[in-house]
Amino acid sequence: MMKKIGRYLRLYRIFVVQYIKSTMQSKVDFFIGLGGFLISQGAGMVFLYLVFEQIPSMQNWNLEQMLFIYGFAQIPRGIDHLLTDNLWMVSWRMIIRGTFDKYMLRPMNLFFQIVCETVQMDAMGELLVGIVLVVRALYKGVVKITPLGVLFFVISVTAGSVIYTSVKLFFASLAFWVKDTSPFLTTAYELSDFAKYPVEIYAKPIRIVLMTVLPFAFVAYIPATYFLIDANLWRTIGAECGIALVFWFISYSLFQKGLTVYESAGN
Amino acid sequence: MSENVIELSNVKKEFVTTKHYPGFKGALKGLFSRETECKTAVDNVSFEIKRGEMVGYIGSNGAGKSTTIKIMSGILTPTAGTCLVNGIEPYYNRKINAGNIGVVFGQRTQLWWDLPLSETYTVLKEIYEVSDADYQERMAFFREVLDIDSFIHSTVRTLSLGQRMRADLAAALLHNPKVLYLDEPTIGLDIVVKDRIRQAIREINEKYETTVILTTHDLSDIEELCQRIIIIDAGKKIYDGTLTDLKNDYGRNCSISFELKELPDQAKLSNLQQTYEKFAIELQDKSLIVNFDKNDFTVADIIGAMMAHVNVTDVKIQETELTDIVKGIYRNGVGK
Repeated sequence: MMKKIGRYLRLYRIFVVQYIKSTMQSKVDFFIGLGGFLISQGAGMVFLYLVFEQIPSMQNWNLEQMLFIYGFAQIPRGIDHLLTDNLWMVSWRMIIRGTFDKYMLRPMNLFFQIVCETVQMDAMGELLVGIVLVVRALYKGVVKITPLGVLFFVISVTAGSVIYTSVKLFFASLAFWVKDTSPFLTTAYELSDFAKYPVEIYAKPIRIVLMTVLPFAFVAYIPATYFLIDANLWRTIGAECGIALVFWFISYSLFQKGLTVYESAGN
Repeated sequence: MSENVIELSNVKKEFVTTKHYPGFKGALKGLFSRETECKTAVDNVSFEIKRGEMVGYIGSNGAGKSTTIKIMSGILTPTAGTCLVNGIEPYYNRKINAGNIGVVFGQRTQLWWDLPLSETYTVLKEIYEVSDADYQERMAFFREVLDIDSFIHSTVRTLSLGQRMRADLAAALLHNPKVLYLDEPTIGLDIVVKDRIRQAIREINEKYETTVILTTHDLSDIEELCQRIIIIDAGKKIYDGTLTDLKNDYGRNCSISFELKELPDQAKLSNLQQTYEKFAIELQDKSLIVNFDKNDFTVADIIGAMMAHVNVTDVKIQETELTDIVKGIYRNGVGK
């Protein structure tokens, strides 16, 4: 088992190095990409500032607290975006075009092969914003640092990323039957934007969706609020981990089932 | 007795698609109808392939060749029947099977497109856990038979089709697979490169006893490489046997063309045709063409007979080529 994990870690490093090397093959592309990335992040920050400037408080949350929730939400989102972006390609065209074949021909775990093929550097933006806002909240004393808090933070972020990945994997796997599921995936993923703000501001149906079918409320808002109001973290984080595991299990099973009905494509 | 590396028994693969109708109205109708169509791509195909065999697997477009290859490589799960490769069912043991096989799809590459070719091999070495010693030995072999050295540091994207094909072949063989599937490996290549690839396949087969299954539309590939040929049509296996048998069974027609010093007049020609009504004699340009069945006459019979009647300057003998035989089989089935 340890040997297996070691092998996959080594392979992951190799794949990532190859990926970075190939993105750097074209220097112009690389710098244009970097420039675009900085501009979009800058614009995102300005937009965020403009929005929150208009809303000093919302449903009993003050500006600083809302910024913490916002920042907290960006971190699992960013981690998932960084590591598993290639799932979009699966839902969009790999299955319909039959290019998924190439993974089937290699003696490695298929999910691993999909995710190790790209490292989406755009995600650095979300991570950067998230970390800046969380650090700011610590600095402003909105949340306190405790050893247990740090541990919970790490667990919660991990579980949150798993929830994101599971939702993406679920819709990507549907492509084995439906061929192109990118419209559904886009819709589901965009719903996760709701997680950036307090759930109370939404109408009840949306709130229910966010807490059940697509549990994005659990990736950020719910754990974040518990950091803010100092409540029973064990239960919240436990629930988040439970949800992450259940969703992962459902999505991964669907993925496995999908492989048996994969039809490839004619030449 | 050598063991079977591949065993297919009654393998069947059906694809279910929703029915489509022509036109915009049709598209709307298709959106709401639940009618499905079932297409059988592979229909009860069975065969066995022994270790070290090189088998040509041919059929017209859409006959089910690629589907069979995909079942044998673990990409597709058959609807019915079983397929064993090295004693395991590929689609249930995908990872193990992937380590046992090498695949080259002529129209797709498995090389890392944006990187120098050498990088692909270093990554594959890690994926397949090839030891350093094996890696060195095999790379030296590929350098020799495929001459990949001249472009190993070029970016894959910049390689010519011929170079890419050679590189792909080396990539598929780096882990020394027991079975090699080649799906149209010589498509679009010039004669020199084709020859080199065939030569390499032959040497690999001899050196490592690799079992090779080759699908192609270029029958000269088959003639050069394979002792055995399997023909599939509309998903059904219609021929399985040696190349020589195929030629003996279906390639009996022979045609001899006699170039003449002077053309016979109409009377003489019809006279000839009457005398030898067992073979078809016709006049084309300045030559007399005689078609006959090799089971009934020998070439010598015909030449002797003709020489006695006309003044011949040159003789050309044409046996039916594999292409013609296969064309005939695709068109008329095996019965003829």
